[in-house]
Amino acid sequence: MWLLQWRAVAARRLFRIGIVNEAQIINGVVIDDTFAEAFPMKATRLIITAHNLTWARHAAASATGFATSVIACGCEAGIERELTPDETPDGRPGLAVLIFSMSGKELAKQVERRVGQCVLTCPTTAVFAGIKEGEAIALGKNLRFFGDGWQMSKVIAGVRYWRVPVMDGEFVAQETTAVTKAVGGGNLLMLATTTDTALNAAEAAVQAMKQLPNVVMPFPGGVVRSGSKVGSKYASLSASTNDAFCPGLYGLAAKSELTPDVRCVLEIVIDGLTEADVGAAMRVGMQACIAIGAAGGLRRISAGNYGGKLGPYHFHLHKLLGADGGTP
Amino acid sequence: MTRVRLALKQAPALRVDLRGVTPAALAGLAPAQIERLPVTHGTQALPLAEFFTVTCDGAPEPGGELVFEGDLSRFDRIGWQLAGGRIVVAGSAGDYVGACMSGGEVQVQGSAGLLAACEMAGGSLTIAGDVGDHAASSLPGSMDGMRGGTLVVRGRAGDRFADRMRRGSALVFGDVGDFLASRLVAGTIAIGGRAGAHVGYGMRRGSIVFAGSAPRVAATFVPALADAPVAWQLLARDLARHGGPFAGLPARRTVRHLGDLSADGRGELIIAM
Repeated sequence: MWLLQWRAVAARRLFRIGIVNEAQIINGVVIDDTFAEAFPMKATRLIITAHNLTWARHAAASATGFATSVIACGCEAGIERELTPDETPDGRPGLAVLIFSMSGKELAKQVERRVGQCVLTCPTTAVFAGIKEGEAIALGKNLRFFGDGWQMSKVIAGVRYWRVPVMDGEFVAQETTAVTKAVGGGNLLMLATTTDTALNAAEAAVQAMKQLPNVVMPFPGGVVRSGSKVGSKYASLSASTNDAFCPGLYGLAAKSELTPDVRCVLEIVIDGLTEADVGAAMRVGMQACIAIGAAGGLRRISAGNYGGKLGPYHFHLHKLLGADGGTP
Repeated sequence: MTRVRLALKQAPALRVDLRGVTPAALAGLAPAQIERLPVTHGTQALPLAEFFTVTCDGAPEPGGELVFEGDLSRFDRIGWQLAGGRIVVAGSAGDYVGACMSGGEVQVQGSAGLLAACEMAGGSLTIAGDVGDHAASSLPGSMDGMRGGTLVVRGRAGDRFADRMRRGSALVFGDVGDFLASRLVAGTIAIGGRAGAHVGYGMRRGSIVFAGSAPRVAATFVPALADAPVAWQLLARDLARHGGPFAGLPARRTVRHLGDLSADGRGELIIAM
């Protein structure tokens, strides 16, 4: 009982000092009255199939590797879901991957490089467009030249495929894939008492989000620990560590968003094909965290933004949870 | 969709050229105006009313339907350069049916004569019966044959089917004559019955699928050591939607032969086992 009373006092204190404008406490977890700020991106979906799911996964994992942030990777990418043979164009098991970038031109470059180095090279794979509507960018269109003149084109039901001879037979790639508008940078911050409890909450949230279509969480395991703020004391850096959420800097940094009981903060970044997709993923992620509750060591759920001045998409946590507090 | 019916009065004495009688050409015309449209009969230009009784369901529109009723075996170039709309021949058609069409749909409920779908570039042509020689091929003197669209022949086809074909899909449910896909440049051909002699003579690229009996393969083709399961599934699933001998293709294994080595050598004969 004393613990619950202490949490209520702590929540009121957060409200008083301005960290929580209007406390919403569900299952003992404080939901900050804040929002995640997200940005427009360009995206495409690729369907990677193979002789079996193992090799499809090898190719998909490789193609979406080193794709955590557009800051240095050129794109953000992840595996969306597994596909059964009756969901793929060639009747083999496969995976759907989503790739996001800041422009259609950069996306085209990333798709070509990643498919060329990670899918073309992987035994038994084939690659197809997973989105039909939108501006077309090259998929197998230029990779076909690897065939050194032995490549063959085949137009089937109005769609052109390229067949490139390789040492295990042939690599089949649809000529183009479509680019669609997308939303990148939806996020949740989980503030917990220990590393274990923070990881537990983050893993549960990612697992819940993975059940939804049209979204990926591009960081390792879907989770990022190095949340960033805009700017740095070093002129050459445009972003640096989010000191307000670093437990190790509590009491040192000029401003902290934490309370003394928070010892670990983890973030989940969500990229989705639409604003609704990102919002839905954030909602189920919060619900999974709330289910863990204060009893599981989770103290607060927050989100990162830049004051609302940079990104046109604002995901308010309270609005996402709704009047029922996010009851699934 | 409005429908214009042209019911044949009697078979003409000479061959009639019906080029230009398309849904787009009839759009906006009254039945009386349609009846006055000139068509060539031998060396004469005669009004359409000499051969047909014209009735309209409504104001003809470019995307509408044009129905020919009767045996039009002496009427050539039905659907010539068709770009849209639908033409139904409730009977047989003459030569050049669907030739040079780039869009729309032509359906022949009987058989068709020579050069059906020659230089077809788009749309779909379905013939319920047989077609004569040189279907899906080139016009005399031309370098390229069929270059797009879909031709489906539910009966048999004559010699030189798909000669110089460059693009598109051509299916024959029954047997085909000699020199199937000779000088084929590219495209997809599927045969449900037996093929005559000299299959793929001088073919450069393209695929010929044999869903019926295996053809006699010339010495200028080599057996393919590697399977092409992905391309086969993509192709077989698309062909299967036409039904008939192609319905079970996705479940069948294949043997491929590559050639013709006397030409470019990048074509393939796919024999479904």
